[in-house]
Formats: sequence, structure tokens, C-alpha cells
Amino acid sequence: MLPSGENYAHPKICFFHVLFKAAALAFYILSALFFDSFVIIFVVTVLLSALDFWVVKNVSGRILVGLRWWNEINDDGESVWKFECLDQESLARMNKKDSWLFWWTLYLTAVAWIFFAIFSIIRFQADYVLVVGVCLTLSIANIVGFTKCRKDAKKQLQAFATQTIASRFSSTIQSAFSVV
Amino acid sequence: MSHSDTIPLNPSSQSDIDEIENLINSYPTSVLPARPPSPPRASIPVSSTPPPPPTFISSNLPPPTIPEHNPMPSAAAPPRPPISSPAVPTATTSISSSGFGSPPNTLTEPVWDTVKRDFSRIGSNLKLVVFPNPYREDPGKALRDWDLWGPFFFIVFLGLTLSWSASVKKSEVFAVAFALLAAGAVILTLNVLLLGGHIIFFQSLSLLGYCLFPLDVGALICMVDNVIVKIIVVAVALAWSSWAAYPFISSAVNPRRKALALYPVLLMYVSVGFLIIAID
Repeated sequence: MLPSGENYAHPKICFFHVLFKAAALAFYILSALFFDSFVIIFVVTVLLSALDFWVVKNVSGRILVGLRWWNEINDDGESVWKFECLDQESLARMNKKDSWLFWWTLYLTAVAWIFFAIFSIIRFQADYVLVVGVCLTLSIANIVGFTKCRKDAKKQLQAFATQTIASRFSSTIQSAFSVV
Repeated sequence: MSHSDTIPLNPSSQSDIDEIENLINSYPTSVLPARPPSPPRASIPVSSTPPPPPTFISSNLPPPTIPEHNPMPSAAAPPRPPISSPAVPTATTSISSSGFGSPPNTLTEPVWDTVKRDFSRIGSNLKLVVFPNPYREDPGKALRDWDLWGPFFFIVFLGLTLSWSASVKKSEVFAVAFALLAAGAVILTLNVLLLGGHIIFFQSLSLLGYCLFPLDVGALICMVDNVIVKIIVVAVALAWSSWAAYPFISSAVNPRRKALALYPVLLMYVSVGFLIIAID
């Protein structure tokens, strides 16, 4: 399962990708030991989660897997979700270890937050449910966005393939007609 | 044959060629964004700003723009010259060239650029919503590049200010303030949507969050203890917030239902105002 052989292509980015997730989770777990105030726990955890969301969406998504998603409002006033990916050659060249780390940490963080959510619901701690709820929402938003982006990239790959076939076909037709 | 350049092509075959050519050249516009760089929750307007020159992060990947540019135009270029119809090729050339100019810029720009762009977007959204400006008559266009960072910071700031001013039960005050503002924004948006209004969910959340800015300022000033000062400051902040939110909400719904949509917004801001006054 773990690809071996090549090293990480962007170790610093991988580090940051994991850093904020791990920091949010660690702070949430350990904070009960050190801090009495819920406010600090809430603000720091949610801030770390939000920073992680931003880093994954804007930095590590672009660099580690070459995908990007966002929402635009077009001139008709409708909201459109846009997905963008690098061209197929660069995508094929992406480091396997990088993308493995990217996807797995994304999923594992969401699972961890779900686990904590269940835990706090059982203990009837409404304010902690709030914290975990916010962090979970941010993780799931990123997962959904990037999964859709990846599917879109695969569709583009197919479209690109058919398009090159069509262009070759038409160029053959051109040459056929010009010869006449 | 010697007549090849004077004999016109058969009309049906010409249109077939045009169709295939359109198919080829319509591919880039349908998949890649044709606008100049459209970052997440884009702030760069469609019209005139040229896309920033592509800057490449130092990485093991060779700059992706060059291979990306090459396959498409080279595939499209050979079919074009032999075709005698002038109109189609020029239009499609411009589409394909502008379509490729933009996407690599946001995918490969340095991180610092993204940060700066997001910050400037927060600033511009704030100015659009809270301060007088010419775009208020066309609210849909004004907050087109919504983002949730501004509202997030303002809600957290308001919660922190309230919690700081409270002498007891600080955690509950913060949690209540945050939950009230966040849930309130969601419910108000649902209210507008259920009244048959035309507003986009995230745009409205973003708007209601930005309209908290005056209340943030008011809460900050209200950290003095004098009740009279508090009441005056909160009243002013409340009026400002409502003035900021009014055009967006009222233009989104049917005129007969304007009051139904606006009243809950005012109610929420009034209750936040009371929270600010009452905290001691």
C-alpha cells in the first residue's frame, strides 16, 4: 500500500499539510489536561482547523496532487463550482508518495473528528460537540471538494484522449481534401 | 489537380469540417475557466486586469504551463490554414489562447500570492458591504466573490470581546455568542430562501458575517463601563449594521415580503446589541 522507492517531492509542503491537522487534533486531546478555559480550547482548535483547511485547499492540494476547487458566482447570479487540475502530463508526473500522504491524512483526520464527535455526544458536552462539529465540517468540505476535483480530472483525461483522436481524424480529412 | 484552389469545397463537407473544428476548439472553454485567474472565491474581476505573469514555485516538476500550452494549439493549428473560411479560425484562436493563459497561474503561483490575494479579498468585501460605495444598488454583483474568512474572524472576535468583558461564565458567553451568530446566519439565510428569495447560500452567510463588523467595533468600544456610552455606541453600531445588510436582503426577495425577510435580521442584531450592553 505504501509506495516505496522515490522520496517525497515536496517534503516541506507535506510537513505543513500534516502539521495543522495534527496540531488541531493534539491540542483538542491534550487541552483538557492543561487549560481550564473552554474559550481558549475552542478558539485555538478552530483556528488550527481553519488554517489547515486553507493550507490543504490552496497549497497542498495544488502542489501535492495538482487539483484545485472553488466556487464562483457567474453573471446570472448562480453559483458554479469550478474544478481545476494540471494538464495530464504533469498529473502523471506527480509524486506517488505525496499524493498517498495527501489523501490518507485527509481521510484519517475526518475519521478522527467523527470519533471525537461521537465521544462528546455520548458525554453530553454540547460545547465540545460544537468544536468538533466545526472541525469536522471543514475536513469533510475538503474531502468532498477534492474528490469531485479528481473525478473531474479523470473526465478531462478521457475528453482529452477523444479530443486528440478527433483532431488527428480531422487533420487526416484536411490533408485528404487538400490533396484532391 | 490544377483547379484545386479555385474549385470551392462541397458545402456539406465544409460544414462538417467546421463542426469538427468547433468541437476541437470548444474543448478548452468548456473545461478550463475562460476568465482571467479565478482563485478560490475569486476576487479578480472579469473585465480588464491582465492575468499576472506565471511565477513558478521551485519544485521538481518542470513548469507545467509549457507542456500544457503545446499539445492544444499544435493539435488545433494544422487543420486551420488549409480551410478557406476566414471567420471561424480567428474566433477560435482567441478563445483557445485566452483559455490557456489563466489556469496555470493559480495552480502554480507561489503561496505568498495566494495569501495576499485572500487578504485583499477580505478587505474588498468588507469595503463593499459595510461602507458606502457605488455598487450597493446592484447587490448581486457586489458580493460576488464571497468568502467566509472575514465572517469567521468577525464572529470569533465578537465572541472573544464579549467573553473578555464578562466577569463570570466566560466560556459560556463565548460559546453562546459563537453559536448564536453562526446558527443565526444559517437560519436567516434559510429564511430568505424559503420566502422565495434569490440569494445564494454562501453569499448570504458571507454578507451577514461582514455586517457584524460595526457591532465588533461597537463591542470593542463598549469595553468601557459607562452604561450611557454603551447604549449610544450600540445603537449607532446597530443602525450601521442594519443599513449595511438592508440592500442585499431586500433586493433578494419579493418586495411584498421585504419586511418578513428583514425583521429577523434586525432582531438578531438587536439581540447581539443587548448582549453587548448587558455584559458586565
